Amino acid sequence: MVNVRLINVTKRFGDVIAADDVTLDIKDGEFFTFLGPSGCGKTTTMRIVAGLEFPNEGKVFYDDKDVTQLPSFERNTGMVFQNYALWPHMTVKENVAYGLNVRKVPKDEVNKKVQEILELVKLGGLGDRFPNQLSGGQQQRVALARVLAINPDILLLDEPLSNLDAKLRVEMREEIKEIQHRLGITTIYVTHDQEEAMAVSDRVAIQNYGRIRQVGTPQEIYNKPTDLFIATFIGKGALMEGVVEKVGELVDVKIGDMVLQGITTNEDGVKPGDRVACVMRPECFTVDEPDEAFNIIEGTLEWSAFVGSITELKLTVGRFSLLCDAPSDRTYEAGAKLKIYIPKSRTIVLPWMDLD
Amino acid sequence: MTSWGPNFDETITRLRRELDPMTLIQVVIGYLTLIVFLVLPLLSMVIEAFIYQGAVSLYWFWDILTSVEFTSLASQGGRMFEVRRGILILWGIDHGILLNSLIVAFSVAIACSVIGIILAFIMARYVFPGKQMFQVLLLVPLLATPFVNAYVIGKLFDPRNGLINFILVDLLHLLPWRLDIDGLFGITFAQTLAYYPIVYMNVVASLNSIDPSLEEMAENLGAKGLRLFRTVTFPLMLPGLAAGAIMTFIFSLEDLGAPIGFVGARANPLARKVASYQIYSSFAEALTGGISPKTAALAFIILIVTASSYGAVRWYVNRRSYAMLSKGGRWSPRVKKPSTRTRTLVVVFLLLIIGLASMPQIGTVILATTDWATSGTLPTEFTTKYLSTLWTNSQVTQAVLNSLLYSVVAVAAMILVGSSIAYIVGKRDIPGNKVLDTLATIPVAIPGISLAIGYFLFFSDVFRDTPLDPLIDPALLIICAYMIRRLPFTTRSVGAGLQQVDKSLEESSMNLGANHPTTFYRIVLPLIISHMINGAILGFVYSMSEVSASVTLGALREDRVPITFFISQIVYGAAATGSVSIGAALCVLLMTVQIAAMAISNFILKQKTSFLGV
Repeated sequence: MVNVRLINVTKRFGDVIAADDVTLDIKDGEFFTFLGPSGCGKTTTMRIVAGLEFPNEGKVFYDDKDVTQLPSFERNTGMVFQNYALWPHMTVKENVAYGLNVRKVPKDEVNKKVQEILELVKLGGLGDRFPNQLSGGQQQRVALARVLAINPDILLLDEPLSNLDAKLRVEMREEIKEIQHRLGITTIYVTHDQEEAMAVSDRVAIQNYGRIRQVGTPQEIYNKPTDLFIATFIGKGALMEGVVEKVGELVDVKIGDMVLQGITTNEDGVKPGDRVACVMRPECFTVDEPDEAFNIIEGTLEWSAFVGSITELKLTVGRFSLLCDAPSDRTYEAGAKLKIYIPKSRTIVLPWMDLD
Repeated sequence: MTSWGPNFDETITRLRRELDPMTLIQVVIGYLTLIVFLVLPLLSMVIEAFIYQGAVSLYWFWDILTSVEFTSLASQGGRMFEVRRGILILWGIDHGILLNSLIVAFSVAIACSVIGIILAFIMARYVFPGKQMFQVLLLVPLLATPFVNAYVIGKLFDPRNGLINFILVDLLHLLPWRLDIDGLFGITFAQTLAYYPIVYMNVVASLNSIDPSLEEMAENLGAKGLRLFRTVTFPLMLPGLAAGAIMTFIFSLEDLGAPIGFVGARANPLARKVASYQIYSSFAEALTGGISPKTAALAFIILIVTASSYGAVRWYVNRRSYAMLSKGGRWSPRVKKPSTRTRTLVVVFLLLIIGLASMPQIGTVILATTDWATSGTLPTEFTTKYLSTLWTNSQVTQAVLNSLLYSVVAVAAMILVGSSIAYIVGKRDIPGNKVLDTLATIPVAIPGISLAIGYFLFFSDVFRDTPLDPLIDPALLIICAYMIRRLPFTTRSVGAGLQQVDKSLEESSMNLGANHPTTFYRIVLPLIISHMINGAILGFVYSMSEVSASVTLGALREDRVPITFFISQIVYGAAATGSVSIGAALCVLLMTVQIAAMAISNFILKQKTSFLGV
């Protein structure tokens, strides 16, 4: 088990910067996820860790060992590819045994280990099949078994669940998390699915245009986004644009003729006169009047949708739209005026940035 | 593939990382082979051509371009469309050796294109009885009958006792005159019949890759018939047509089979007045006096013509290869079932073309199995004495064994070199890959005769008195010529296989601890082996029937001659006697090998490969 450090890693493909000055410290035994929109460089960053790409600048360390230029086959990492990359000319057993055979492990030991790993991923009886005789989920398990067989120092998972259907995806991600936990292996996971990332990760790095925007636990990322990109990329949220009036313990933001008070989670803070956005999560709103520490927003109800546990409301407030999770025990009239309330501590003020 | 990195240090780091011993060997094999057996020989030829009386000079080029023997706008002889004593003479007009070659090659390319387009259209768009049979029969001309094909045409159109003249004039009274097809026109005629399948196959492939919805869209917008063809279909199939046409052009320029065949059949001097024949005949003198700089200059001019026209077409095709934008689903091609009358016309037309085009192959079989060579208009009796010479005549057997040996060795070499290059170029990130890729493509555009001249000049000089000296033993050089000439096709064939091996299959192997050699042998090789075997089979067929290098370098030592050289000698020298049938018997052997290979390739390896790989 190792700790992985990336120091100022930059990778360019022609004019495209796939990884831009990435510095990270991934701890021993941690389940670490790269999350970002497609094309953000998360897969490239993982491939640099795996030794399948080599950075133009910067260094990669496993513990204290500089592996920047070390080829993949000397790194002892185990990578599960998005398309599984199972060798079609080998049986399941041969696929799983490959890494061990390459390491010249004695034959009976290989057999024993292969059987053990196949049991672990619940493929006990399928060892003699060829990959094209397996379902997507089974192929996924073979891919996992194949890398686990070599006891890798680092487990690398590149969007491993993206080719599975929704139900299987949830099942497999729990299984992966369980196996990772049991083996205590440093794991790097790449996904564009935020729910997946939140569910499995110890820590998440949000990447966009090659740059790491924020690193933190899922809770930190969700509750304390450091910039507007993260705030809108993670979770549902509505935002209202305004200008900072006053900065004290709370930040006063003037939006039209309304003033909202909130907190900023941006590292550099905000100052009066700044153009900012107030980000508010639907589940933070309430429609019942609470005490004073809440912002009050009045708007017109555009529509409501009963989804079971809650009723989703969409309100128009000036030129903005807000989403609000309301109790489902009553009915809401479209077109009616409605007041909603949000705690000031859940009103997040972030410097404005243009998002594409 | 990235090329040289932005800075030198990075490139060095990358090289150190990528160049494990196996990769290094593959890179070295690729470059070494291409430099020693392609670049340097051609360079020797160029140098020779530019030297006059010890100084660099354009003398020889000037000499060729100004002497009427080589280039003459006015006629230097020959006859075309002349009727004499009831015979319509179709020989062609002599404009000098160089111009003749260009005119013949150009005419062949045009004629092949016209026939190819018509056939391709019929086959791709119409349903009619016996279509599958016609699909096979249309490719009959690809069966190798070097030299004998032209001989057969010459014999069939002989004004005195040619079979075709007998049928058309004496029997059916369809024509007022007997036809006399010979000389330059004869060469054009024979080459057209032999090469049209190349254009046909390319155009069919283009037509089948056109998404029918594109044409349907055009029809929907009101374009019909010729307009639809002109505005949509033709532009879309043009890249395929251009690629096919340029190959026929190159094949015609370097072809020796037709000139030698006609010289053999009728001894008309006009058939000698093409560049390829002139270069070929210079090898007879090479044994005593070496090859003259003028020959080198001629070979260089031919090379410039083929290489630049090939380059131009390749550039055009690359620019114009429309990736079909339509996504998803397999389309069923637009096939029509025409009216009974049209269908009858189509079948009659196809029968006519196939009848004409397979004359050489049918004639060859008849020559090999009967006394036709000496009996006049029609054969009178069957005989096995010619076929049996394959194992009874020691000279013939020697030639067969030589060819077998050369081909097997050449195939082994071309697979080794071709796979190395394909792997390096397709899968590895080595600086300079583009150069290697380009070098490996060049032989397609190099006429075999030019290469042979280069080999002779380079190896008889630099490797004098070594086993590579063609005056000592041409065998090794013949093998190398086979290998180099077929290399682009082998490389492409293996490259196509490699393309199907997803990058992640190799990456996952390396990720699990296998280095490049292990990954290559355990993952890549098993996945491309069928492509390699297929490439080997095609390479073998090609080598067995290769002409240009065989008949030139083969002339240098009697006990080293390959099959094709032997055939050329028989056809050239002893046409009047029955021994031409021995040449025909050898052609039957070649055709048998080819059919067997095709069968293995199609039915066992399940590969769909056009036989010339164009």
